Amino acid sequence: MVQFLQQLINGLSIGSVYALMAVGYSLVYSIMNFSNFAHGGVIMLGAYFGFFGLTLLKLPFAAAFLLASVGTLFVAIIVERIAYKPLRERRAPFLYFIISAMGASILLENLVIATIGPTFRTYPEVFPKAPLELGPLAVGRLDLIIFIISAVSLTLLILFIDKTKLGKAIQAASYNVKACALMGVNTDKVILTVFGLGGFLAGIAGVFFGMKYTVYPQIGNITTKSFIAAVFGGLGSLPGAVLGSVLLGIIETFVAGYLSSQFRDLIAFVILIAVLILRPTGIMGKVTEDKA
Amino acid sequence: MDWTYIQGILMLAGINMIAVLGLSLLTGFTGLFSFGHAGFMAIGAYVGAWISASPASTPAGLGLPFVLAIVAGGAAAGLVSYFIGRISLNLKGDYFCIATLGFGEAIRLIFNNVNRFGGARGWPGVPSKSSFLAILIADIVAVVFLANLVKSRHGRNMIAVREEELAAQIAGIDVFRYKMISLIISAVYAGVAGVFFAHYMTFIQPKMFSLTKSTELTIIVIFGGLGSISGSVLGAILLTALPEILRAFEMWRLVFYGAAVILIMVSRPKGLMGGMELTPSGIRKVAAERNALREAKAKLLAEGSGEEED
Amino acid sequence: MAAILHIRDLTKQFGGLTAVDAVSFDVPEGGIVGLIGPNGAGKTTIFNLITGVYKPTSGSIEFRDRSIVGLEPFRIADMGITRTFQNIRLFKNLSVFDNVLTACHLSANYSFAEAILRLPRFRTQEKRLMAKAEELLDIMGLLGYKDLIANNLPYGLQRRLEIVRALALNPSLLLLDEPAAGMNPDETEQLMRLIVRIRDDFKLSVLVIEHHMDLIMGVCEHIIVLNFGEKIAEGSAEEVSRHPQVIEAYLGTREEATDA
Repeated sequence: MVQFLQQLINGLSIGSVYALMAVGYSLVYSIMNFSNFAHGGVIMLGAYFGFFGLTLLKLPFAAAFLLASVGTLFVAIIVERIAYKPLRERRAPFLYFIISAMGASILLENLVIATIGPTFRTYPEVFPKAPLELGPLAVGRLDLIIFIISAVSLTLLILFIDKTKLGKAIQAASYNVKACALMGVNTDKVILTVFGLGGFLAGIAGVFFGMKYTVYPQIGNITTKSFIAAVFGGLGSLPGAVLGSVLLGIIETFVAGYLSSQFRDLIAFVILIAVLILRPTGIMGKVTEDKA
Repeated sequence: MDWTYIQGILMLAGINMIAVLGLSLLTGFTGLFSFGHAGFMAIGAYVGAWISASPASTPAGLGLPFVLAIVAGGAAAGLVSYFIGRISLNLKGDYFCIATLGFGEAIRLIFNNVNRFGGARGWPGVPSKSSFLAILIADIVAVVFLANLVKSRHGRNMIAVREEELAAQIAGIDVFRYKMISLIISAVYAGVAGVFFAHYMTFIQPKMFSLTKSTELTIIVIFGGLGSISGSVLGAILLTALPEILRAFEMWRLVFYGAAVILIMVSRPKGLMGGMELTPSGIRKVAAERNALREAKAKLLAEGSGEEED
Repeated sequence: MAAILHIRDLTKQFGGLTAVDAVSFDVPEGGIVGLIGPNGAGKTTIFNLITGVYKPTSGSIEFRDRSIVGLEPFRIADMGITRTFQNIRLFKNLSVFDNVLTACHLSANYSFAEAILRLPRFRTQEKRLMAKAEELLDIMGLLGYKDLIANNLPYGLQRRLEIVRALALNPSLLLLDEPAAGMNPDETEQLMRLIVRIRDDFKLSVLVIEHHMDLIMGVCEHIIVLNFGEKIAEGSAEEVSRHPQVIEAYLGTREEATDA
């Protein structure tokens, strides 16, 4: 029982980091209908920004944290401007966006390898390693902080989408971009906001990921799993992305804990395939009937 | 640059070409996009290596002839693609894409866990059987097979599926069947490419068949031009050579590569050949199309009444 | 005359919406039947049901006394029913000739191996297909545009090409979905003559959806009127145009519009 709860907390912690990443995929998908594979590169940069903020600039944690998330906000927007905007203007098919995204991902990853180097780097210890004793449970301080900050960030995001005018425009655009443009919504602004929001959260996720594991240029590959979480929950749906991420985090931790850690990475793809076969629109995705 | 070095690049290009031609059928002619073909290459590579590796040096090998390795590697990839197709070909648009990504990565992760073939550490001791001549013959067979297929009712049916799926159905084309056949053929090509790759590198590792490799194949197909066999051939040679030529820049070459990919997508989406073929009949066809367009325009002008746009 | 197509109590629901409600009618062998009704009356849905694009919620569709409900669209096409689309669906990037040649595929049966090895059967059959495509284009007056990319064809000719493509399948029942949409009176007149000629030359039966009343009244021997998914009237042009419900639902507003 204690082990079970321990695993559950671990799962929630990693699941909440996945959620920060997954909402980035989902936000972009909801408006532009393509899977933004450059997002992994942005997350990776977030991890590096945070790392150098703490080590090189010797910033306090909060400042490094902010540096990372604001930094990735701009990176995400720059990627949009360079790699997607020209395609948007030409109304290119979604595949060109995906390939362009793959190009951006290759570029970011190798830019880091070329300038910073391929080595693994370990974050300095920000929070004491000693776990918090909660009755029989020993909860990692880092896990707890990750969970709380992630939950707060996601709540703020959902409030932003639900309550503000810009958020409402994003919702409207996710139903029908063309109609929105005709109604006078500035879709370019909506798209920038979406990339900005996704980028900001990617920075947070990158820092947490780096703190929990290590920092290296191929972190982006692992973020593919958060993309799977977004598909699991239903691409384009924010609550779906969060739910899918948390479930994936928990399932992964349990598989690693009770079966074998070797299957940890495989399970995500097994879930992906199962979801696509059984319910391609995911848990919370819209099911639409085709019109001829 | 000496001949062995150039020959090495050409061999790698020739191996890539086989996989790219297969993907060209699926993507360029049938309109289905895959991000999992590296997985089929992996199946070909491992099955092929298993068949041909000498049991004396590597306990896991069977020590059978190379030709058998090629057949088995291609067949294994084709068989797996059949099952993947059964469950994913009915998915719409980018969900098929995502499914292939999932399957491709799953195949790689499975090989990571097969300790018999070295797991994630890789498997050395694959015999060096991919000769320049063997690759050249395979490429010629691959091109002729594909060109003849595309210029037949079967190929035209695949193109119809790419152009307009519903109209294809209504024209009596079994869309699912043609998608399936296209997927299987492309997977066999990828599998055969994998066999050659394994016997060229003599060392294989699941990492070599990652999502990046799948993406690279799709990029080459698009770079060459969708629906053009000559484009795929040129694309495979140019894009395999490009990173090698840039090798002098070591660290920066993949940065350039990534930038080039974005640039290609952003600037010239029709690809090198843009659907036309660099053959006498292909050139005649394009000339005839241009001519017809000019005549049609002239005819409309002569009638004095421009057709209304709708 | 025997009916080539028998439709009984055909119903299609989308969620809670009933798009087609217990509609029954026949298409006689060799007849030209019109399907009319205001927008959203369920006309195109009926086409989608007949061609297998949608599966009916209930009811029966029999073609030559065989039920075709639940068959895949391509099987239904194989059996001899084909159609055109309201929003033209050509193979846009292919030449006019290739559009028709592709659709001729049912007249050949060489295998993959025969195609790849270029065996004699492939050669002879392929020659036959090309001749057939050329002949069809000639009959329909499109041979001059043979090499033009379909997308570059003037709008009216695109509709005609869609009909040629349908004829390439040797159908016995042709469904035309608003063939005169976007055409001027002159072109509509031409199209009317074309429909009758196709019926006679190719020995077809035709079911046509149209809003151009001239066309419907001019060529259809039998007319079925739909409104809100239900059949409200059927009969000859004269009978239908005098039917009070029809005047109220459809023709009334139409005549006002044309009178003005």
